[in-house]
Amino acid sequence: MSLDDLETELRPIFLAALAGDAAAYKVFLDAISARLRGYLRRLLARTGRSEPSEAEDVLQETLLALHLSRHTYEPSSPVTAWAHAIARYKLIDHLRRTGRHAGNLPLDDEVYQLAAPESGAADARLDLERAMQALPVRTRRLVEQVKLQGASIAEAAGVEGMTETAAKVAIHRGLQAMAKFLSRRGRSP
Amino acid sequence: MKTDELISLMAASHQPVDTGRLRHATWLAAAVALSVTAMVLVNTLGVRPDLAAAIMTMPVIAKLLFGGSIAMISLILFQQSLRPGLQPRRLLPLAAIPVALIAGFALLTLAQAPAEQWNTLIFGRYWRSCLFNVPLYALLPLAVLLLLARRGAPIDGRLTGASAGLASGGLAAVAYALHCPDDTIPFLAIWYTLAVALVAGISTLALPRLLRW
Repeated sequence: MSLDDLETELRPIFLAALAGDAAAYKVFLDAISARLRGYLRRLLARTGRSEPSEAEDVLQETLLALHLSRHTYEPSSPVTAWAHAIARYKLIDHLRRTGRHAGNLPLDDEVYQLAAPESGAADARLDLERAMQALPVRTRRLVEQVKLQGASIAEAAGVEGMTETAAKVAIHRGLQAMAKFLSRRGRSP
Repeated sequence: MKTDELISLMAASHQPVDTGRLRHATWLAAAVALSVTAMVLVNTLGVRPDLAAAIMTMPVIAKLLFGGSIAMISLILFQQSLRPGLQPRRLLPLAAIPVALIAGFALLTLAQAPAEQWNTLIFGRYWRSCLFNVPLYALLPLAVLLLLARRGAPIDGRLTGASAGLASGGLAAVAYALHCPDDTIPFLAIWYTLAVALVAGISTLALPRLLRW
């Protein structure tokens, strides 16, 4: 699928997601993550790193950033450009943090035009697990229930004796804390 | 955690998103920052004694327009620089339009004046005050814009820094115009421009490291 086709397909889905459609949001995330996985693997390979687990780490960090920056999307602009720009920023940040020179990453848009989607997820390393350990216990239990047991937020909230809204807020804060943890790790103070 | 699990988690806790929030917040923050800066300035430096009469004169209007237009253009850029995927860097030269206009105007003024008046027209009485106070009073708008930038997704820290600095300098220039007793166009073209450029320079250097996310 060319990038233009992907854009044509994803834009209405993402706009529906922004309006509150959680199912559309999931479709968007699945499609864009396959695309970004290919993009990140390709760019990492250029800097001499071809371990899929590393690309998966950067992908997870990028997805968290996309999620927490949904409000920065300009609705009249291409959603694929928005997503790739964030992925690129997170990749450069990752390279800088891990002591790799990012200077030879292509600045133009060509690479993401060419990168093929990769739907085969690799195992990420332990970064996100470690980020989760930094969460408050109750938030962590909520997260575990929703992600592992596939419980809905309403069910998980019931187990914890919270309202659904409170549970959503707690998970949102948890995701924020995880993103912060990831972007701080390995950075000199 | 697997990527699929992360996606399920994000989708499950998803809520409707307002993409206009950043834009509204930028204008609101700028308006509040300008009002507070002007109030602080009125209560510290004070307004020029003849403000009521001078406010409708051409030099004061020129100062207000100069600072105001730089601020407006830069705030648009600033707001866009918080949204990945746009290319606001292309628009940066727009901020030079007010500077170019006032520079042309200043040259015209100097050309029409006898050479022995140039010194007075350029330096006025209080150029040091302008160069010191505009950057000083720009600190409050700059701090407000910095806080706002951290709520966006700045992927080009230098551009966000530059546009925030230009905007803060422009807003501070508007406030300072209430005090500034020097009413010549060459004065405005040189010292106001330098003062705004100073804020922009500092901000371009200092902000990127505060904006990593």
